[in-house]
Amino acid sequence: MNTRSFSISVSTSHHTLVQVKDFQFPENRIVFLFGESGIGKSIVSKVVAGQLDPEGLDVTVNGETYADYLKKPVVRSGKERGFFVFQEPSSHLDPTLTLRTQLNEGSLKACPNDEDVLKQLFQSASQADLGNILDIYPKPFRPSGGEKQRLLLSMAMKKIRLYQSTPEWKEALFVFDEPTGSLDNIQRNRFLSLLFAAFRKKPFTLLFITHDYSLISEINANYSDLLKSVSFLEMARIHDTDSVISTFVPSDYTTWLDKLVPNTAENKAQTPLFRMEPSFKIFGRSLTLVGPDKTNPIPLVIHPGEMVYVKAGSGVGKTTLAKIILGLYAADQVSITLDGLTITEKKGRLFYEKEVWGKRAGMVFQHADEALDLKSTVFETFLGLIPGKIPPREEIKEYLAALFDSPIPDAFLNKKVQYLSGGQKQRLNLLRSFYGKPKLLILDEPLNGLDFESIRKVLDLLSKKQKEGCGLLLISHNEEIFDKAISADHLYYLK
Amino acid sequence: MIIDNQTISSNPPNSLPIAPDQKSAFNFGIGLLGLFLWNLFFLNGPAMKKVWGALLNTVLISGLTVVLTLLLALAAAFSLHLLEVTGRQKGRFILLFALNLIRSVPQIIGVLLGYALLSFLITNGVVGNGIMAFVIMACSLSLFIFLEVTDLLLDRIAHFRKSDFYNALRVCGLSESRVVGFNILWNNSRIHILNKLLSVFGMALFLQCSTDFILSVGLSRDAEVTSLPLSLGGLLAHIDSKQDILAMGYTLTHPLYLPHLFLQHLQGLSAAFLIVFTLYSLYKIGNGFSERHRL
Repeated sequence: MNTRSFSISVSTSHHTLVQVKDFQFPENRIVFLFGESGIGKSIVSKVVAGQLDPEGLDVTVNGETYADYLKKPVVRSGKERGFFVFQEPSSHLDPTLTLRTQLNEGSLKACPNDEDVLKQLFQSASQADLGNILDIYPKPFRPSGGEKQRLLLSMAMKKIRLYQSTPEWKEALFVFDEPTGSLDNIQRNRFLSLLFAAFRKKPFTLLFITHDYSLISEINANYSDLLKSVSFLEMARIHDTDSVISTFVPSDYTTWLDKLVPNTAENKAQTPLFRMEPSFKIFGRSLTLVGPDKTNPIPLVIHPGEMVYVKAGSGVGKTTLAKIILGLYAADQVSITLDGLTITEKKGRLFYEKEVWGKRAGMVFQHADEALDLKSTVFETFLGLIPGKIPPREEIKEYLAALFDSPIPDAFLNKKVQYLSGGQKQRLNLLRSFYGKPKLLILDEPLNGLDFESIRKVLDLLSKKQKEGCGLLLISHNEEIFDKAISADHLYYLK
Repeated sequence: MIIDNQTISSNPPNSLPIAPDQKSAFNFGIGLLGLFLWNLFFLNGPAMKKVWGALLNTVLISGLTVVLTLLLALAAAFSLHLLEVTGRQKGRFILLFALNLIRSVPQIIGVLLGYALLSFLITNGVVGNGIMAFVIMACSLSLFIFLEVTDLLLDRIAHFRKSDFYNALRVCGLSESRVVGFNILWNNSRIHILNKLLSVFGMALFLQCSTDFILSVGLSRDAEVTSLPLSLGGLLAHIDSKQDILAMGYTLTHPLYLPHLFLQHLQGLSAAFLIVFTLYSLYKIGNGFSERHRL
């Protein structure tokens, strides 16, 4: 079996962006590359595939300049035969052409028929909806992020078929950067089934970048015969700039998951901390909370120390629910009791400001990049959260140790948030929300962009907060982990 | 191609060793030094004192105008924002109406009205031509400029309110004043504000010189332009400088007279040069600043 080895360094005139030595992956295998967001996985994969725009950058690959690397036959043929699925689908699509045109553009024109791929990836969409997506784009129909992502995957699958139908091509590199980030589990699994079926026909090399560790369980459950053709790697930063890519042992994840049990609060209070009537209205729409049986409307109840999980399909209104609870969206009709306060749609912003925000309830927003002040330092992130208190630096260091490697150097407190990795930002986002000790915390996708080690730490932190009596309301697509961490009677569906 | 947010924000790859705004500021300093030395050698003492005194007065009034403009803009933007988020629509409407009334007055007319008030106060002996006159001049300038800065501040606040940034900070328990004052305006907008204040400085300087020059036609018999603190515009309106300006016009049709300008008509020439050169340099510095910070 051939193995590709890389030593990659990418820097600007000011500093090193990513430096990784001894990055190896075998050919004709599916290689899953995990790791915290923002540590350079995409940059490294773009270098490997020859897709990095080198403007303003100093790039070396195995001691050679990037220009020399791009001239290598293996890179040139890789670009011709392979396909790169970019993380942000919009950057891949041309908004001036219909998607059907783009599906048959350039080298994709020579690819075999794609109808069955489209059918499988858009199984729930009607023929008319699919037509809208393919022909009416870009105006007036605007595809969702998930639809764009599935279209990109359709293109990639076409290219895989072209590779497979060309006998003289013995090897091709495909890179999928977060290809399932905007898909729900059902859509993701449909795509995986297509991918593995294709791999069985004629293997290819696929670098699959993801944060979704639940892929391991899916592969173990449905594609165990292909485990020998699958590798798991994890990228981690060992210094501000140096990174290491090493083998990830999938059983570490599955064993941890097996041991995960719901945390039940020891001092379960009789009086709920939070209660919300099952029906509420917003923007003229009626939404209902139903219980684990998915049928009967029941009020959403959270006692101190309980963690409750709300599930719903993409776009149904999970984040809207969170924003209604916190008074960020004015509902047309809602009835809530929070720590002895009665809240209806008539309560205004001043009420929330005085009684709720940071005191009785808080929220961890989904995208840490938007939720944090990137121009603040790590230390400044904690200033003003408790009125009149300037926390000692040592106290903040101690507090950060819950999710960051200790000892925390003093320089870390002075570091601008914008220079942290995506995973570090997410951990800071979580810790900031807990700092003011709100009685109820709403967590919207708290595991976004985290590596396995950080996921474990976050779960430990949530468990600790439960024991301290904090009520947690969770919204997450990471069902595999939270279905284990939260008991079934704490599960709600939003319809 | 989008590479990485961190890459873009932390490392402008094509940054020059000397930023264009710094280069323009350096050139401005060199220009001033050159003029000062030329004046030192070829301009008589009293005239030199007038020219550089007028520049100092002009810069001080413009500087004070910048400070007052910023304070007024912050007060207006904070008030409008707070009235909006607390749902006090009536109060917001009244404040907006008052601000729009000010906006409807052309800046030069507004400043002239301010000067009319100042001349009235000087004529009646309420203020002398000292610090109070400076403050009143700066007030009348800033009153008709500050809305431009207010608009910028409101734009910046609105920009951050559209994203989760504002709500995420508020629900953590941070106060409105901290989120708006520190996180939005100081941390994330100070470069934009500074850039705007540079243009406010130039605007104040231009308005001041224009108004002072207009005043030379006579505001009232009792309060002449010479009653006000001497600025570059006022100096140009001086009888000696008027002759110098005439000489510049004369040079257009008699080019051989040009060398005389630099020796015999130095007072008016220096005042005119200082106005034009300062405005030009401010323009260049502002542009360079925008370029450096990619505004």
